[in-house]
Amino acid sequence: MTGFGRRLRVVAIAALVFTPVGALAVPPACPESDVPGLKWLEKMSRSAQTLNYEGVVTIQRGEDMDVVQVSRNAGRDAINESLTRLTGPGEQVVRKAHPQACVHPGSEMLQLGDALNRGQCGISQYYRLKVTDGDRVAGRRAVRIKVQPRDMYRFGYVMDLDRETGLLLTTKIMGPGDRLLEKSQFASLKYGPPTAEPSPVQSEQQAEQTCSDDASEAKAEHGPWSPGWLPNGFRMTEAVDRTSARRSYTDGLSAFSVFVEELPRDIRPGEGVIRSGGTTSYTRGLRLGGRPVLITVIGEVPVNTARMVADSVNWEVARAD
Amino acid sequence: MSDNLRESLSALMDDETNELELHRLLAQIGNDAELRATWSRYNAVRTTLAGQAAAPLSLDISDRVREAIDGEQEDATPGKFAAITRPFASLAVAASVMGAVVFGGQQLAYLDDSGQPGAAVAASASPVGLVNSLGATSVQASFGTQALPGLKPATRTAYRELCRQRMKSYMEEHAEHAALNTPQGLLSYSRVHRISE
Repeated sequence: MTGFGRRLRVVAIAALVFTPVGALAVPPACPESDVPGLKWLEKMSRSAQTLNYEGVVTIQRGEDMDVVQVSRNAGRDAINESLTRLTGPGEQVVRKAHPQACVHPGSEMLQLGDALNRGQCGISQYYRLKVTDGDRVAGRRAVRIKVQPRDMYRFGYVMDLDRETGLLLTTKIMGPGDRLLEKSQFASLKYGPPTAEPSPVQSEQQAEQTCSDDASEAKAEHGPWSPGWLPNGFRMTEAVDRTSARRSYTDGLSAFSVFVEELPRDIRPGEGVIRSGGTTSYTRGLRLGGRPVLITVIGEVPVNTARMVADSVNWEVARAD
Repeated sequence: MSDNLRESLSALMDDETNELELHRLLAQIGNDAELRATWSRYNAVRTTLAGQAAAPLSLDISDRVREAIDGEQEDATPGKFAAITRPFASLAVAASVMGAVVFGGQQLAYLDDSGQPGAAVAASASPVGLVNSLGATSVQASFGTQALPGLKPATRTAYRELCRQRMKSYMEEHAEHAALNTPQGLLSYSRVHRISE
């Protein structure tokens, strides 16, 4: 135990010594090299509110390949969207009449507007952005944004955007060492109001589209539980009430959700993880504040991030911002 | 701690573990206080170096340890220096109650062995609502004077299965938020295993 304590002190001192160095290593407010990328991402985000199109998208996760049909019809006041699975049993998700005025935190983080000129750099605090020429995708000329995380708590992305409209044509989620985790790409795309008859489906689901007025100021409620730590730049996606068993967070590009279940009886403590494409699902059983609970973190983040967040969940303790 | 474990831990931090290594590590970390402390420490140093305030560290195995750490954090006067040192103060506390960690760990390991055979992860009425996975893996632990054993492979598999089930039931709710807050939009729903009506 003595040896362990000594080692801890050594590490503590080492970390304290390194802290100022770490602080100095933080890049200046808004690296010039990231500005073109930020502008493209803003264009992409705004295009999602204005473009009409329909198309077919292929999605690759490991060995699995999914093909879906997507359509979007953006009116002056509202947006209608649908996604239909063309592989497996027919399933469809429909989002009807999403108000144009409703901008969610994830989009706000990309739509910097004038704030960019005032030196705010949004997600480039957490990612390095590099813009290059992209390949042609679904017959459209593309521009490629390479998005590299500045820390180890998020994945990287390679995004191809339509050079003309800003529409996101290809998304690759990249693990460390440029490991491809997931890829979605338009195979065909037609701009204009959707005309195709939707494929017959077995089930249709209405997508949730809560838009609380204070979404932009969504903050962690204190209790009964909350994570004590989040990776830099992650914000709650919506205000939740105290009793909610879920909290969701986004940094503008990726998202994860935390679920906490109180169990009626004790469970043998332990943890498990499933990874699928860019998604990590991590579940942990433990006692928290004297209660047996099951914590699950699901999202497009590395396992280590999910574990860090789960590890930091407090019961009845205010979040340390 | 063996070099192998240290390497696995580094790989976990860098998201470079293979599946086998990852599951072995997660099964072990719950029973190995030093491994947990090392993982917390690695993260604290890496977050600090990345310019973020260090994460509040928690050693999660025992309520006694957690409460000791929470108590210490509440006592600390908030301030810049405290913010920097707090995690390490927690670690010092953690080290001072290391005995309790081991003891607490044993207590937890005994949970399903406390006079009611298979109580914790019992068959049909398991606390997590599973019918045929955790229930089939009730393990009778017998510690005596030997070192705390690692989770039996069956339990490891059980937690993986539990995770798979939770992923299925929660994925759609997560996708709703990812769809509204990430550039992929509605495509987030394609991650849902089976979209429900």
